[in-house]
Amino acid sequence: MDKVRTPKNIFVQGAISPEKIASSIANHSTKTEIGGHSIFLGQVRADQKEKGEVVAIEYTAYEEMALQKAFEIREAVFAKYPLTCMHIYHSLGEVKVGELCLFVFTSSKHRKAAIEACSELVERIKAELPVWGKEILDSEEHVWKKNR
Amino acid sequence: MAEKLIIKAFGMVAEEIGQSEIWLDSVSDTQELLAILKERYPGLEGMKFSLAVDKELVSENQKIDGAREVALLPPFSGG
Repeated sequence: MDKVRTPKNIFVQGAISPEKIASSIANHSTKTEIGGHSIFLGQVRADQKEKGEVVAIEYTAYEEMALQKAFEIREAVFAKYPLTCMHIYHSLGEVKVGELCLFVFTSSKHRKAAIEACSELVERIKAELPVWGKEILDSEEHVWKKNR
Repeated sequence: MAEKLIIKAFGMVAEEIGQSEIWLDSVSDTQELLAILKERYPGLEGMKFSLAVDKELVSENQKIDGAREVALLPPFSGG
């Protein structure tokens, strides 16, 4: 029987800890049909801007819409690739330079599905989720992040 | 009596208008809403943002009779 999936909260307050990622990987050791995992980690970069260097990004979101959209993306990617598992976490609030702000984790029997699905998820998350990053500079000014 | 409409602003749009929520008396469509907002907040004139009516993105003028919320969404920059 197909599992009925419902919208999940993808947001975490502040940075995503490396420990959370490690334990998330460990949690899959009992799923022995998995043959490959693919992981994307977004890290806050110390960009040099006109008015200073980025020291942190403060994320805000239109949460209700973002969760609905994330659910639609999740369903579409599950339908497109033979995946065993998919996990998406995005930070809200302040994430300092060098810390992690996005964690996308896909698993499948064979590597290709996991790799391609992970990459597609990252692109869609960046393009379609109503989330905004405010880049805080060392000069205490800020600029609004632009995605490439 | 017509329901009030909540306008939710995000990112640089919220910064420009100085608040994240505005209540308005009912507005007939998105074009009228934009005209009201741009008159009240002239700084919005040159800004790039999309609208979502009850969490659905709109691309053309759309009726908002009966809608509960309209969001002003600057270009997304998550991740």
